[in-house]
Amino acid sequence: MNKKSPAYVLGFMAAICLVFGTGIAIVNYATQGLLAKNAVMHHNQVLCRAFDLPVEGNTAEAYQQAVDQHLAADNLDGRVIYRQTTPDLERVGFIFSGLGFWDRIEGVMVLSSDLETVHNLQFLDQKETPGLGARIEEAWFTDQFKGLRVDWADPGRARVIVGASPDPAARNRVDAITGATQTSMALGRFLSEELDRFRDAYLAATPPPPASSPDESDQPPPHPP
Amino acid sequence: MASSYGKILKDGLLVENPIFRQVLGICSALAVTNLVTNTLFMSFGVTFTTALTSFTISLLRNYIPVRIRMIVQVIIIAAYVMMIDILIKAVAPDVHRFIGPYVGLIITNCIIMGRAEAFASQNKPLPSLVDGLANGLGYSVVLIAIAVVREVMGFGTILGVALPARDLWWTQWTIMVMPPGAFFMFAIMTWIARARLVKQEAS
Repeated sequence: MNKKSPAYVLGFMAAICLVFGTGIAIVNYATQGLLAKNAVMHHNQVLCRAFDLPVEGNTAEAYQQAVDQHLAADNLDGRVIYRQTTPDLERVGFIFSGLGFWDRIEGVMVLSSDLETVHNLQFLDQKETPGLGARIEEAWFTDQFKGLRVDWADPGRARVIVGASPDPAARNRVDAITGATQTSMALGRFLSEELDRFRDAYLAATPPPPASSPDESDQPPPHPP
Repeated sequence: MASSYGKILKDGLLVENPIFRQVLGICSALAVTNLVTNTLFMSFGVTFTTALTSFTISLLRNYIPVRIRMIVQVIIIAAYVMMIDILIKAVAPDVHRFIGPYVGLIITNCIIMGRAEAFASQNKPLPSLVDGLANGLGYSVVLIAIAVVREVMGFGTILGVALPARDLWWTQWTIMVMPPGAFFMFAIMTWIARARLVKQEAS
């Protein structure tokens, strides 16, 4: 057969595309179950890290069990929030996302129940420059958010600051990453925006605690029988 | 035949090393070498893809129309890279989160198409497989050497493990983590390797 004829060229290309396309499809189909399981396990792992949940073992089932036992998920205006149901640990977390330097960054931020203090911040997904912007996932960076105060009163709506600030000792500031200025600035910007959106939705959905009368608050707690 | 396989291996690893002799695959050599772990997985991906692509191109060499041979080569390379990407994501999701952005880059690695054009399209499948393997390993050796120096100098770690009492005596060279660090290391390594080769050839 003439290898230069258009029919041969087209036929060959079609055959190559069919064979290799089928190969990719087979590999993809064969791993679909594993990929879905990995995605769920990763989500639960990040939630457990963010809320400091006790996990027995390093299996998908162990992470799922910890999340089921300690967290209750809610949907507020399309935003998933998690309330910690562990007694004496009233924390609330939400999934944030925003545009980094290259692509979307997604993660979990956990706050105290009064929304004033950050308990933890962990990332679910990011595609920043490895070795530079991707270092936002490293513990030295995320640990800076533990105990950070959220500045709800800032007129510039900078709820948290990543990088330089007029006040270096500001209680809502964390250090940026050297060589990843754009990622750091983007993170500070969209975290502040996401915090505002989350608080609006959370306060709208959470009924204020019943006001106690002065008489009741003055009374001593009842003695046990 | 055994000696010719040995020569193919030696050429790929040293004499005709793809990085400092053929100057192929430089883009990824500069991009991924700031961490040794990333470099190891990238090296594995490139070696695997180069070997399989060379083998496949060689199998099909008598049937591929000359005018579209490069398009065919790119399709084959892309298919293998996508399969590797999916497999790593399924089997080692934690590793994939680190090297995911690099795996796609393997498609554009000049070594793979370079060997397909220069060797596999004119030789039998088994020598082509060995040639692909040798060139992948030659690429890996140089990249790992660059990555070791860059990670130690840039982060004060090796494979993510901090040097002993690093904070007491080591100041991290941020420039080694950034792209200029790769250029410096690549130039120094090429200089040393080529100087040795020139000396050997002269003697």
